[in-house]
Amino acid sequence: MLYLVGGFLKPTSGSIRLHGRPITGPGPDRGIVFQRYSLFPWLTVRGNIGYGLQEKGVPRKERSRIVDEHVRLVHLEGFEDRYPRELSGGMQQRVALAQTLACQPEILLMDEPFGALDAQTRRLLQDELRRIWRRDTKTVLFVTHDVEEAVALGTRIVVMSARPGRIKEVLTRGFDVSDGDEFETIPEFSALKLRIWKSVKEEVEAVRA
Amino acid sequence: MRLLPLVLLLTTWQLASSSGLLPKSVLPPFADVASILGKLLASGEIFPHTAASLARAGAGFLIAVVGGVALGLLMARVRAVQRAIEPILLLIYPVPKTALIPLFMIWLGIGDFSKVTVIALACLLPVVVATFNGARSVDDMLLWSARARGTSERRLLWRVVLPAALPQIAAGVRTAIAIAIIVLVSSEFISAETGLGYLIFSYGGVGADDAMLAVVIYLAVLGYLLDRFYLAGLRRLMSWHAFAH
Repeated sequence: MLYLVGGFLKPTSGSIRLHGRPITGPGPDRGIVFQRYSLFPWLTVRGNIGYGLQEKGVPRKERSRIVDEHVRLVHLEGFEDRYPRELSGGMQQRVALAQTLACQPEILLMDEPFGALDAQTRRLLQDELRRIWRRDTKTVLFVTHDVEEAVALGTRIVVMSARPGRIKEVLTRGFDVSDGDEFETIPEFSALKLRIWKSVKEEVEAVRA
Repeated sequence: MRLLPLVLLLTTWQLASSSGLLPKSVLPPFADVASILGKLLASGEIFPHTAASLARAGAGFLIAVVGGVALGLLMARVRAVQRAIEPILLLIYPVPKTALIPLFMIWLGIGDFSKVTVIALACLLPVVVATFNGARSVDDMLLWSARARGTSERRLLWRVVLPAALPQIAAGVRTAIAIAIIVLVSSEFISAETGLGYLIFSYGGVGADDAMLAVVIYLAVLGYLLDRFYLAGLRRLMSWHAFAH
């Protein structure tokens, strides 16, 4: 689904439109963050974040300003001249996020971007993403296998059915998740988490049976 | 410490000669070879030959690198080119290029032109194969990521495919350096008046085995140094890549 919106795959039937225009291929209006290993190993943090701007033909000075801004946004000050192989997995994903945001996409597509990270790093990056999302109020399409991640980040949560992958149900999160960790104690949080998990569990069991 | 195996080998060689185990007619003592090498260096006699050889090998090598990278990239990106070139390459690959030297001399004359051509052809193959494999095995993630960030299909080649293939290309070029020296010497065996291969051949022809071996050792050291310089240069220029060696 994410790759259809991204324009990497073609729909088997029907069409996908963004602001009325059909999607024909990948483009910078839809920024995508992959699971991992999507940074260019031959470019520094600075080079990676500025990649899309350079492709767009943004002049050097302007580019440098935007890159600096995004380095600060994902807290990577001091690592500007490092290469991806010198960074931890969490830092690499932060660079990938900054690389995508620097292109100013209309929609942010995220394919399990924190799935390969350890639990602590994942939690911190979720907080960062929520903070950035609040600031920009951009649409984010976020794919995850982690129910808690879905509830902690999503305002609308779509449960997909197991093979064939179709939309099973769409739930709206009726309460706000603030930037702190207080949401853990909200009763509705646990209730929604359980509600979604039961729905997902049905699918997992259906495949297994 | 790294030189220990080498020192052991040379000591064994020298001991075998001085003890009479190894007659002079079979292998001259290392001490004799070393002293002749010293004379060749001190008199400066060997340097014009070195320059002539390096010019030939360097020209062939450079043509091979430029042509090989271009051809390898083209093969990886354009199916028709791959279909047309691949069978020819695979057929030429196992042919000992030195065996083609007489043929090239008939076609291109006995001068430097035919020598450079043979060296270029021999060096071309590892570069093409490495570039092709490198360009074909570029991670889809990188191509997708670049396209999603606005890179057109045409620019993809320069922005992603070439840099991503560089580590493999670098390995192919390293092989080409060794091949350049091997083919160079063979090409200078036949019809040359300068060059290290010519020196080896002419000393060998008059039975000066110690002088012949001196030039061979000189060539080995030269090749070793070229390889070291190349690797050191790579580490500097491609610090983004973790080299295994």
